[in-house]
Amino acid sequence: MEKELEHQFVSNLERDQNIVHKICRIYTNDQSSHNDLFQEITIQLWKAYPKFRGEAKFSTWMYRVALNTAITLYRKKKRGIQTQDYDSVHFRIKVDEYDDETEQHLSLMYNAVKELNDIDKALVFLYLENKNYKEISETMGISEVNARVKMNRIKKKLKKLLNP
Amino acid sequence: MDELDLLKKDWNRQQGNYPKLTYDQIYKMIWKRSQSIVKWIFYISVIELLFATIINIVFSGDKYWQDIEKNGLSQVITILYIVSYAITFYFIYRFYKNYKKISTTDDASTLMRNILKTRKTVKYYIAYVLISSGITVVGISGYMIVNHSNTDVNNISKYSFETIDWLKFIGVSVLVLTIFLGLIWLFYRLLYGILLKRLKKNYVELKKLEM
Repeated sequence: MEKELEHQFVSNLERDQNIVHKICRIYTNDQSSHNDLFQEITIQLWKAYPKFRGEAKFSTWMYRVALNTAITLYRKKKRGIQTQDYDSVHFRIKVDEYDDETEQHLSLMYNAVKELNDIDKALVFLYLENKNYKEISETMGISEVNARVKMNRIKKKLKKLLNP
Repeated sequence: MDELDLLKKDWNRQQGNYPKLTYDQIYKMIWKRSQSIVKWIFYISVIELLFATIINIVFSGDKYWQDIEKNGLSQVITILYIVSYAITFYFIYRFYKNYKKISTTDDASTLMRNILKTRKTVKYYIAYVLISSGITVVGISGYMIVNHSNTDVNNISKYSFETIDWLKFIGVSVLVLTIFLGLIWLFYRLLYGILLKRLKKNYVELKKLEM
């Protein structure tokens, strides 16, 4: 019974691990904190797994638990001193087809996203993942209207960060 | 175009650029936490031994050994040292074994058994330290009382003890010994207590999973 649950969980996570990697990418600046966050999320997912009864898709459930973990950890860390890591400028993986100007613009935008607070990051992440407002509101546990309002505020914030 | 939509396009382009962990790598992560706690128990025990050895070397200079030899105790002390180091090494070995075992554990019930075992080993270790410190202190004071050399103090008769003085002396000694052992106990509670508590938490969580 236990063994089977383990196997199920690990196979599911192996299949959908990209989601966790993407969350790590939004919330961390270097490889080692990426790995730490990945592991922490894995542990939290496994702990919560017995409560997952398959009423939602595994990936949908995963978005919720993983984002909660990232947000909680980020909160704990914020009490310490925060330093801006300038290496994060390069955290974008380069794509050859872009011209230099687009490339630079994208880098700046990724950096602006990093400046957002923990909750805003989660919303942006879900938005980038092509989730509609209904899905975003369900994952974040807020109303659909609230999600729209927040998203509009975030867009304004990002504009401000990009054009100070 | 909306700024975020540009970002979204790029975000989705990069789907293939993420690390790919294997089944086994993810599987191992589930058990990592207890492992790192047990690893710390092992490290702390080694650091403790090194620390105790350094203190021993610093404080037991030539003079210390001369005194011991003068009293004809060198054999007894050497044996005591060997025995105590042997016991300490045994515990370090056990801690190491626990650590290795938890590293390679493959299911929840074995892990639970190993967590319980680790906790027990730590408790035995603390009991050993307390009992051996107690015996050492009692032994040394007993020896000093029986064999104290009169030459150290002039006019020894001034210091002769009445029964009431003996009672006072024993009372104070017991009090000092209790405080001394209490401090050691407190120190170990702090040192290992936190780690043991976390292990217990993991154990309780695992147990919930089992049901």
